Amino acid sequence: MKSYAKRYPLAGRRWRQGDGWSVLLLAIVGSVAASAFGACPPTVADGANLVRDGLQLAWRPVIGGSPIAATAIPMARHFAIEVQVCSGATPSGATLAGLDATMPEHRHGMNYRPRIVALGDGRFRAEGMMFHMSGRWQLEFEVQSAKGSSRLFDDVRVR
Amino acid sequence: MTFGFAERIARLVFLGAGLALLSGGPAAAVPIEFTDEEIARIASHGPWPPDWRGDPGNRASGNPAAIWLGQSLFFDARLSANGRVSCAACHRPRSGFQDGRLTARGLARGTRNTPGLLNVRHQRWFGWDGGHDSLWSASLRPILDPREMGGSAARGARLLKSSPSLACHYREAFGKPPSADDPDFLPNLAKAIAAWQETLVSPPTPFDRFREALADKDAAAAASYPQAARRGLRHFLGRGQCATCHAGPLFSNGEFGDIGVPFFVRPAGVDPGRQGGIKRLLSSPYNLLGAYNDDATRGNAVGTRHLRPEHRNFGEFKVPTLRNLTLTAPYMHNGSLASLRDVVRHYSELDEDRLHSDGERILKPLMLSAGEIDDLVAFLETLSPPAPPQPPLPPPGALPCPARR
Ligand code: HEC
Ligand code: HEC
Repeated sequence: MKSYAKRYPLAGRRWRQGDGWSVLLLAIVGSVAASAFGACPPTVADGANLVRDGLQLAWRPVIGGSPIAATAIPMARHFAIEVQVCSGATPSGATLAGLDATMPEHRHGMNYRPRIVALGDGRFRAEGMMFHMSGRWQLEFEVQSAKGSSRLFDDVRVR
Repeated sequence: MTFGFAERIARLVFLGAGLALLSGGPAAAVPIEFTDEEIARIASHGPWPPDWRGDPGNRASGNPAAIWLGQSLFFDARLSANGRVSCAACHRPRSGFQDGRLTARGLARGTRNTPGLLNVRHQRWFGWDGGHDSLWSASLRPILDPREMGGSAARGARLLKSSPSLACHYREAFGKPPSADDPDFLPNLAKAIAAWQETLVSPPTPFDRFREALADKDAAAAASYPQAARRGLRHFLGRGQCATCHAGPLFSNGEFGDIGVPFFVRPAGVDPGRQGGIKRLLSSPYNLLGAYNDDATRGNAVGTRHLRPEHRNFGEFKVPTLRNLTLTAPYMHNGSLASLRDVVRHYSELDEDRLHSDGERILKPLMLSAGEIDDLVAFLETLSPPAPPQPPLPPPGALPCPARR
């Protein structure tokens, strides 16, 4: 199998949600692989996809047990985020060590501290998130793997 | 007050064009059209009233016997130590359940402004510092607070036992007789008063009708919304960035902020605001993590469980709703601003040195012209009903308890 970096030449760059190529590539991969949440590698059905240090991370917001689009996170309501970490076609064995969000323009973060629950098979749920203002929020996922710690970022705009 | 620079320019331009010959000044002649983006943001401030499904943490929520009991107790001064202070002494029905004072006065003088109680069921945190996480625990505090009512379980139980009708409604609501020795007794009283406060909802306002007309693209219905309010609404959403905090149907995100209102209290001291509120909340046996939360799933305690105390909480106060403000002057946590014009001036002339260095960065002095201040005030006034809502009917105490459904 080709190395990850060769298959995904943009890996290692900070990938933002909505990167057309990543979405396309992952959609193609996804159409081949099983698409249930938790299967590796993640697909667009698993939410926004981020890639770094040989890890693929998919995340999606969940409200009242139902997944919603990342663009539909409502302002000032509690929600959870489900995360899946893969390396290639298998769960990575890495753990989600932290998840936080800040508003860079306002220079503050959330009023709540999320708690991470491991669901098994490289899947995690962060509970107790809330974006209490409209504007740009930057999510920071801290993933701990055998190779060390990786930080993956994504941006969300809340209306 | 002089006109702002932008307005003077606008006037000159209009004079040059000869349009100012028309009466009413330039702005009055121009209808304000909103962009699709603005209309979407306006839509986010409704519908009114928002969905509400009862309080899972309060077993008495929606229970008619409890609502009846709660209404009686709200107006009953006998709960207080001197027999003269009822909830309604400070939360007066005719003033949106506020008292018009700078700071509250019960058995002693308080340091905070009495908030109105209309739509209180939609809040997440209660008190200016969010020291309570449920409507019922916020209703228990004043009964016991020595500066407010100075009551006790013994006094409450005596009152209920002295009145067959109160005792009967208590039994019907909670399935047992009132007793000062029952640890549930005080929380139950508070839950009944909360159940009644849940019925206090303000009617739709001129803004709500305008919002609906925009959504329906009904130009005729939209036409009655005043031009000044339209201009004010545009400042509110745009340059003022007011909706960043004053969001949603309540015009509040339910969280906390520091907008540079002084937090010194006389004679010498400070009001720590949210910082003290978090401490108060987490040390209370009546918070939603405790034994008196009726939601067995604790699904209603997410906010309390995940609270994150921060340095910046010092001097933060709850973002208040902007509905019904014409009924609830004076404004701010300490009642320090007498009118809506004073509030808008506060934002216009904001003293940045007063804001926390680690505080909110979106607040900047807006430097509004006199006309722009008028417009924002005109807009804020459309968030209140044209006339005060009818005070609720006195409880029909004459009816025997079992006859009530
Ligand atoms: C002495 C005047 C006074 C009395 C009496 C009083 N309150 Fe209040 N009330 C206040 C003040 C002041 C606050 C704000 C307290 C704070 O910020 O901590 C408040 C806050 C509240 C809140 C929170 C509202 C919000 O929007 O955050 C509720 C609910 C409430 N009171 C209900 C009651 C009930 C029920 C009673 C009677 C059992 C009562 N109050 C008696 C003055 C009073
Ligand atoms: C950073 C968040 C934030 C922004 C932005 C903001 N506000 Fe506020 N507003 C608050 C907070 C917090 C308070 C209460 C402060 C206190 O009592 O110390 C408040 C209080 C008020 C009040 C008083 C209400 C009452 O019942 O006492 C009014 C009116 C108001 N704001 C209007 C506005 C307008 C108009 C704008 C835009 C020009 C605006 N706000 C922008 C957070 C904000």
